[in-house]
Amino acid sequence: MRPVRFVHEVDINPKVLAALRKAKLRLLKDVLQMSVSDMERLTKLPTAEIHYLHKTVAAAICLFPPVTALQMSLGDCPFPTQTQRVSLGCPVLNSWLKGGLPTLGVIEIAGESASGKTQICLQLSLSVQYPPAYGGLGAGVVYVCTEDVFPARRLHQLISLQPQVRVDVPSDVITTIPFGNQVYVEHVADVDSLWRCITHRLPLLIARLSVRLVVIDSVAALFRCEFSCSMAVRKAKLLQHFGNLLHQISHKHHSPIVCVNQVTSRMDDIGDRPTSICLTSQRIIPSLGTAWSNMLLMRLLACRKEVKTILDTEHNPQCAVEHSNCTFTPQTQRTLEVLFAPHLPHSLCHYVITAEGVYGVRENDNTNIARVESHKE
Amino acid sequence: MPRQVGSLPLPPHQRARLQAAGFETTDELQGIGPCQLAEELAIPREEAMGILRMARGQEGPVNYPNALQLLVEEQAEDGLLPTFSSALDDLLGSGVELAVITELCGAPGVGKTQLCLQLAVDIQIPGCFGGLGGQAAYLDTEGSFMPERLQQMSEAVITHCSRLASTKQERDQQDALKTFTPDFILGNVFYFRCFDVTQLIAQSHLLPDFVDSHPKVRLVIIDSVASPFRHGVDDAALRTRLLISLAQRLAQLASTRRLAVVLTNQMTTRIHPNSTQSASLTPALGESWGHAATHRVILQWQGNRRFANLIKSPTRGEATVEFTVTSEGIRDVPTTPSLPATMPAIPTASMFLSSPTIPTSLPSTSTSSNLILKSPSALPSLHMTSASMPPSTSASPAVLGCTAAMLADAASSCINAMTAFRMATGEKMTTSSGSSPS
Repeated sequence: MRPVRFVHEVDINPKVLAALRKAKLRLLKDVLQMSVSDMERLTKLPTAEIHYLHKTVAAAICLFPPVTALQMSLGDCPFPTQTQRVSLGCPVLNSWLKGGLPTLGVIEIAGESASGKTQICLQLSLSVQYPPAYGGLGAGVVYVCTEDVFPARRLHQLISLQPQVRVDVPSDVITTIPFGNQVYVEHVADVDSLWRCITHRLPLLIARLSVRLVVIDSVAALFRCEFSCSMAVRKAKLLQHFGNLLHQISHKHHSPIVCVNQVTSRMDDIGDRPTSICLTSQRIIPSLGTAWSNMLLMRLLACRKEVKTILDTEHNPQCAVEHSNCTFTPQTQRTLEVLFAPHLPHSLCHYVITAEGVYGVRENDNTNIARVESHKE
Repeated sequence: MPRQVGSLPLPPHQRARLQAAGFETTDELQGIGPCQLAEELAIPREEAMGILRMARGQEGPVNYPNALQLLVEEQAEDGLLPTFSSALDDLLGSGVELAVITELCGAPGVGKTQLCLQLAVDIQIPGCFGGLGGQAAYLDTEGSFMPERLQQMSEAVITHCSRLASTKQERDQQDALKTFTPDFILGNVFYFRCFDVTQLIAQSHLLPDFVDSHPKVRLVIIDSVASPFRHGVDDAALRTRLLISLAQRLAQLASTRRLAVVLTNQMTTRIHPNSTQSASLTPALGESWGHAATHRVILQWQGNRRFANLIKSPTRGEATVEFTVTSEGIRDVPTTPSLPATMPAIPTASMFLSSPTIPTSLPSTSTSSNLILKSPSALPSLHMTSASMPPSTSASPAVLGCTAAMLADAASSCINAMTAFRMATGEKMTTSSGSSPS
């Protein structure tokens, strides 16, 4: 339904319409935002008439009738709702996220460098292209790179290994999807070009091509380098505008927007965010501040720890007692943590990165890490 | 008795014309007809009729309620809107108050939307369980409403009510439970999606008619008020004016139809350049918005714990409590973490519930869960903290509104139950201000 914007498009008494025209009130927005006494003064209409006008205009602006939550959960809703999910490509991660990522809103993946954020985004860029029956959205992705050059070779490696990874999808479906052709890469180097990309190019790309996912890798890089500490207020305002724009694009086109963020250390705790379970230092927090956090639907934290694990503790009980006789293998333990989401508790899931992509690891598999490296679900 | 024309509540231009035409008191308006008045003042006939009606209407006695009538009306209210965390309910004074605006400000992820979803379920608790049995209108501006989460919370509330019904064995409770299903609960939450400021304002104009056509609606939630106003309106003065007029409309809606209105606000960081603490969080939307709500609660993180701080209320003192969000919804923080359920260290209330109609030991999760029972005599005013209950191995103890009178109902001997209960809980019973429970 096309939104109604002008006064003359609404069914109003011609006398009232003439009075509004004389007062130069053309937009419905202006009619609603003006107070009753101001409107009386400008249009010389009686109060009751103005209240009735407000109600008529309000009814014209509110496009959709109220739906009940039951209708929403059954899918009987005229506007898109938060019932669909995008698969992450791994069954363990999907079940941890209760189906995958939501399709409406801005989702952030924060983390230290080399924690695996880009790998997760690449995997998501492929899994979104599968048909909805297999957890995707059947459409392409716009990948905006701000830090490094886009890892095209890694993407092609992942594409070639898709048949081995996605065993739940029949091979004839996989071969028909032109994975590489549906990943549109944009490189931006500063905030202004990012702004132009988001405001002009992105809506065009989404409208003309079949694109249902936007990945911005990363948001923090540009905002943190271009704004010094003294420009904090301006940076916050710009971030707010930017976040709001992404939010609107996501809801208008029913496409999730995944933003990658860096982490920073904080000086004092002002009580604006939960502490992470898995990060070693409690002072490390996602960067970009409260203005940005308010725009997010969901925030994930990727961290990476080097842990020394003893393999085969069940078969070699002496290892637990005499450490010197056992082989220590330094393992990289990677964890993905939900810091906040409307439908998920604060929880974490371990994962590994292999040649085929990102795999979630269940809790009870943790002791037997050797097997995971060649993990196939 | 005749009134001065200038004291009538008329729009300025009408008043000016009346006075310019020579009318001083309402007596002079008595003998004149609307067409004649319209001609004299050069205003439309409808306006003239409005003036005359007002002039004549002033003769009758004006009917304003007095404070006693208001108090009786308030106490006749037959139910509560609990949050399922007794700490939060106590903070707000026996749950969220009706007929006023309550504002929840909080950092991202702390639980504002969760609390709103919980309230949308709790408003529907049937009257026989002490609730209001109403419907909810949910205005969403951020798109974070998840029906599956609402389903999860409603299942937890239904389980709780079923447990209550099975212990009390009352006819009306059993009947109410037959229709109190998750589908029923989801069907009673009306969802409005507002994509920008204009739609939110438009929806606020349509709410009174909606509530009139759906008289069971007792709760209006707006989640959140902050986001459309912070991004949709550039001019600060216009933003303040729009916010104030929205608040006035909502306040009028709340008080005339006795609804609870719950608004959600965001937090913004305020930098302190000259003090030791470099930054602090403050509610968004400015200082003048702070006057709009009757009750104002700030939700904050401290490490991984969530705290609610009541900073503005005409009826309750400032306080800070801790709460948690579990898979079942908003609950109290468990305070006795590691005692085994089989060996309670302190004598507990369940030992005194020896009446044959009630099992001698309530199941471990339900003793610590909410006991919302209808109290015809007074609003439930005693809250037991979870320290008094046998420690449960499951996650979420929360007790609400179990008065000594209700225990007396359950136990055979009234006095014994009262004193034994007092011993069991130590002195951790808080009574709401003034009213005595039984």
